[in-house]
Amino acid sequence: MNPSFQRMYAIFNKDLKDVSKNLYVSSTFLLPLFYAWLFARGQEDAVALLPMIANLTFATVGAFLQAAVIAEEREKGTLRGLMLSPASIGEILTGKSMLSLLGSVLVLFLCVNLLGGVPSIPGVAWAGFALILVFYLALGTLIGLMSKSLLEASIFILPVIMILGMGSLFTSLIADAEWLAVVEILPNLQFEKLFQASGNAEVLSSLAWIAGWTVVTIALTVWWYQKRTVDE
Amino acid sequence: MIQLENVHKAFKGKKALDGLNVQVTKGEIFGFLGPSGSGKTTTIKILTGQLKADSGVVRVFNNDTQTIHDSDQLQRIGIMTDNSSLYPRLTVQDNLNLYCQLYRVPIRRVKEVLEMVNLEGVERKKVSTLSKGMHQRIILARALLHEPELLFLDEPTAALDPINKEKIHQGLRKLKERGTTIFLTTHDMDEAETLCDRVALLNAGRVVEEGSPATLCQRFSEPIITVQLKGGQTVTFENAKESAKAIYDCLLSEQVVSIHTDEPSLGQVFIQVTGRNLA
Repeated sequence: MNPSFQRMYAIFNKDLKDVSKNLYVSSTFLLPLFYAWLFARGQEDAVALLPMIANLTFATVGAFLQAAVIAEEREKGTLRGLMLSPASIGEILTGKSMLSLLGSVLVLFLCVNLLGGVPSIPGVAWAGFALILVFYLALGTLIGLMSKSLLEASIFILPVIMILGMGSLFTSLIADAEWLAVVEILPNLQFEKLFQASGNAEVLSSLAWIAGWTVVTIALTVWWYQKRTVDE
Repeated sequence: MIQLENVHKAFKGKKALDGLNVQVTKGEIFGFLGPSGSGKTTTIKILTGQLKADSGVVRVFNNDTQTIHDSDQLQRIGIMTDNSSLYPRLTVQDNLNLYCQLYRVPIRRVKEVLEMVNLEGVERKKVSTLSKGMHQRIILARALLHEPELLFLDEPTAALDPINKEKIHQGLRKLKERGTTIFLTTHDMDEAETLCDRVALLNAGRVVEEGSPATLCQRFSEPIITVQLKGGQTVTFENAKESAKAIYDCLLSEQVVSIHTDEPSLGQVFIQVTGRNLA
């Protein structure tokens, strides 16, 4: 069955109205903008910080907003209503992701303007932006589905913001620790590697890692969603 | 339309359904009656795929409930359960618009269903400002938006006043005339007697009696005729042709206030069958 854009748009439109009246959630848009503004003031080569700002944007606006809208649906009991409507899992999850996706793109665009542009990267590396955004959206959805309330989701998302959103800030402070090699497989660091890659092989390797993380996270999210359709 | 055969369900070892057998045919209003904790909501959740039965046969539209989550199946059913909720920050119109689009029905249906639940003119009100009874009626309106073939209603009029209750009963009767099958749970015996074609009395997870409300009441009636006379005196007669002359004499005496057969209410039938009250 073909996905219905009408259904996805209806869910997006509902979320847009709902989140615009929820200052706690909508104010997350400000965090990456604040950091971008701060870095742009203090750094000469602020453009080079875009990968980190992008990760922060996707973790806060993408993953957190996504987790918040899903967790609130669970908390209020409205998620079950969507699950019992004729909308398919794809239509519901895509519709529920549209606000976070568009919000992330908008905030990233504003951050790019604050930082003063984008660093030069190979063309194929741009796919990394799309892939990692999908990863963060799936992760946010998963956290939202695992949380019983908005408050719980706000707590669960903190490690994501710290490790994935701001991870490179911390790793840059730690020199030559052996365990850094393990951390480097994380999607946020692979995303940042795209900007330092010296050739297509490195770019493709990073993209493959990000794609792997994305596929696994989507699979986990779909499995958890299906678990949520039935009470225990 | 609905078939439940020897259905069992337990929560942490405690039996909620214990060999439940129910058949609901197309176009009827079927009442599932029982006190709190008797398994009514569990049954609706199993029928709508929100819970899995431990064992037994569960079929809706002649299909296994494994397929109930298919889009085509969900388009055919309407659900109002105790865990149905609305978006409190949004208006009534926004809440119902979303479901119009999910069910692909025109937005004008919002006005029609709000009329059915006696809530004309609340479209622009924010849901969080409405009373519990109004919430309940909006959730019912939402379940009616797409004119489902099969409607599951869990205590649909529990928090409503008699006027709104009657208005909703009228709406449900109209739906039945159009061919909708309605499976409703209630512990309101008046509702069951006036609305349902057939009822099943549920106790401790199993059906203890089943039939039309009138049939059940007759089955448990005493074979007596009670004549109430002026002055508060009551005389009872055996409901047999031998009593005809005595009743006729009462009428001739011009002292009769009322004459009636001794049929129990559904509530009394329930107490008689289970020894439990329906509250």
